[in-house]
Amino acid sequence: MRLIRNIFRRKLRAFLTIFGISIGVFALLVMGALAEKLTLLVDGGMRYYEGKVVVTAPTQFAGLVSTPLKASLLREIEHVEGVARVSASVSALLDKEIPAVSMGNIPTIQAEDGRAKGYEKFVFGYTAGRELRNTDVGKVALGADLVKRLNGAVGGHVEIRGKRYEVVGIADKTLTAPDNAVMMTMEDARRIVHEDLPDAVRDSVDPNSIVSSFAVYLEEGERPEVVARRIERQVDNVEAMTPLDFERQVKQPLAIFTSIIYAVALVSLLVGGLSVVNTMTMSVAERTREIGVRKAIGASNAQIMGQFIAESAVIGLIGGLAGLVMGLLVTVAGNAAGEATGNALFLVTNRLVVGAVTFAVALGTLSGLYPAWHAASLNPVEALRYE
Amino acid sequence: MSEQAAHVVEALYGGEPQSQADGAYIIQTRDLTKRYQLGRNNFVDALRGATLDIRRGEMAAIMGPSGSGKSTFMHIAGCLDVADGGEVWLNGRRVDGLSARELVGIRRKEIGFIFQGFNLIPTLTAEENVALAGEYAGMGRGVALNRARELLEMVGLGDRTRHVPSELSGGQQQRVAIARALVNDPGIVMGDEPTGDLDTTTSEEIVGMMRTVNRERGTTFLIVTHNPEVASACDRTVRMRDGVVVDDGDGTPPGP
Ligand SMILES: Nc1ncnc2c1ncn2[C@@H]1O[C@H](COP(=O)(O)OP(=O)(O)OP(=O)(O)O)[C@@H](O)[C@H]1O
Ligand SMILES: [Mg+2]
Repeated sequence: MRLIRNIFRRKLRAFLTIFGISIGVFALLVMGALAEKLTLLVDGGMRYYEGKVVVTAPTQFAGLVSTPLKASLLREIEHVEGVARVSASVSALLDKEIPAVSMGNIPTIQAEDGRAKGYEKFVFGYTAGRELRNTDVGKVALGADLVKRLNGAVGGHVEIRGKRYEVVGIADKTLTAPDNAVMMTMEDARRIVHEDLPDAVRDSVDPNSIVSSFAVYLEEGERPEVVARRIERQVDNVEAMTPLDFERQVKQPLAIFTSIIYAVALVSLLVGGLSVVNTMTMSVAERTREIGVRKAIGASNAQIMGQFIAESAVIGLIGGLAGLVMGLLVTVAGNAAGEATGNALFLVTNRLVVGAVTFAVALGTLSGLYPAWHAASLNPVEALRYE
Repeated sequence: MSEQAAHVVEALYGGEPQSQADGAYIIQTRDLTKRYQLGRNNFVDALRGATLDIRRGEMAAIMGPSGSGKSTFMHIAGCLDVADGGEVWLNGRRVDGLSARELVGIRRKEIGFIFQGFNLIPTLTAEENVALAGEYAGMGRGVALNRARELLEMVGLGDRTRHVPSELSGGQQQRVAIARALVNDPGIVMGDEPTGDLDTTTSEEIVGMMRTVNRERGTTFLIVTHNPEVASACDRTVRMRDGVVVDDGDGTPPGP
């Protein structure tokens, strides 16, 4: 292709320019994949919180440490006006130690009393086996992302916190929290939570009344915010979280974080774009005499302009594709490494791939506009005299 | 141009060129002037009233000292540049004052150019270089390439069609340039020192080739040269000095 030959007239320069663009696309893709993953997680959270109120103990230290609630609170909450149903759940970290750095979902243990059935809208099916029942003591169902990590299969056994459990089911992939959860009975989960409590409080807590949170389902027409305030007023020492609270606490910071991520990536891409402007300007200057010859043999201004724009668009395209390949390598490798711990950091979506490459081509085209215009507007005679 | 010179032109040509019914002239210029402004009070008059007729089918040389305005004249007569004053007639049609867009159209169809030295696009093969002029003029790529190969065959480069300029000798490159100038079958080919970079033998070869094309296809040639041997191979030699034609080579003395 003649265009490619023109671009690679100066091999090192062409390579560096393309590299500049590809670094930008690489950054856009990797950072974008991170943002897409976080967005997905948060959207999952939004779906989970939708239409209900979640009651927990007042948060202490960034929500990582919270003392358990008491099971007896269930009745109290259910008596609050506007509440249709309350379901208790117990949760704990799958590993006793919290990983120092973690993105995405931390693997957890989840148990619930089954009272949510028919009220909970966030439901998922099972790829293999069946759902866990209240009577399944010593058995578990696994979230999709934990299968590999725990090396579990339906009918087989997995080891959790030093104890063996039989696997009865493997959940469908939900792309959010349940993927990283081991579902077990309240009884089993309560034992683990109780063991995790600090020595000082452990003896004063009755393991059979431990509850981590209550999911509160509302009566028809009630607003979560109103009911949440009622609960906090009528029940001592609890915090009620609504979808709106979740949005405020998680979604908005995420939106800001996402914008920053994209801004950083776009800046690096823009720098790549500037190097295209530079390269094309130099290329036009070097080829001044050639432009004069082209015009003398019949090239119109539009044809000259089209040629240079096409060249820089192709630089953008090649850089975009190279950046895409580098980005895919890193995200795939990163996810493969993360898989072992149940954490896939990146999510490469179609819109991200198409967007990144399109942006690179658009940037290449845009960067070529001025140099191309300059080339087209050269006076043929002056260009021919140029040494 | 001085009043006196204007009288000379009047006497010689009887004012404006008549529309040529028999089409004897391919290009006629009248009183061409061109001034290059270098600074506020600093300018060069490259042309100061250049008048010349080129007959259809002839091969004419332009000679003159460096800076006498030969290239400037050729560019204006070839619709590559515009004069400040004067007239250019091409095939009996007045073309000075046409828009840049219209001039591109004229260059494509009616005029071929050959330059000295760097002349071909270095990244294109011989056949692509030749075809390019056809493509600019609207020929399909396939058609243009076929025509390019025919012409390269004609100039004796049938076995070099896929070579890039750096793989060709100076003489071979100029032959490619001749083929390129002919691809749209123009009435006239203009060469600005086309043999300037070539040794004597190669130079003769190139002029011989232009002569052959001139005889066989009837293409008019206008060649700017510093080489008397190149000029003597032409039908006549036009002489320029200080921006005017001082001798049109037809034996008619231009002034009193
Ligand atoms: N673009 C320009 N800007 C300023 N001066 C110019 C320009 N083009 C030509 N000139 C001047 O106009 C005069 C005529 O130039 P031209 O190139 O037509 O001469 P020439 O006869 O072709 O000379 P040569 O034999 O050296 O090629 C010269 O003095 C030249 O310096
Ligand atoms: Mg010259």
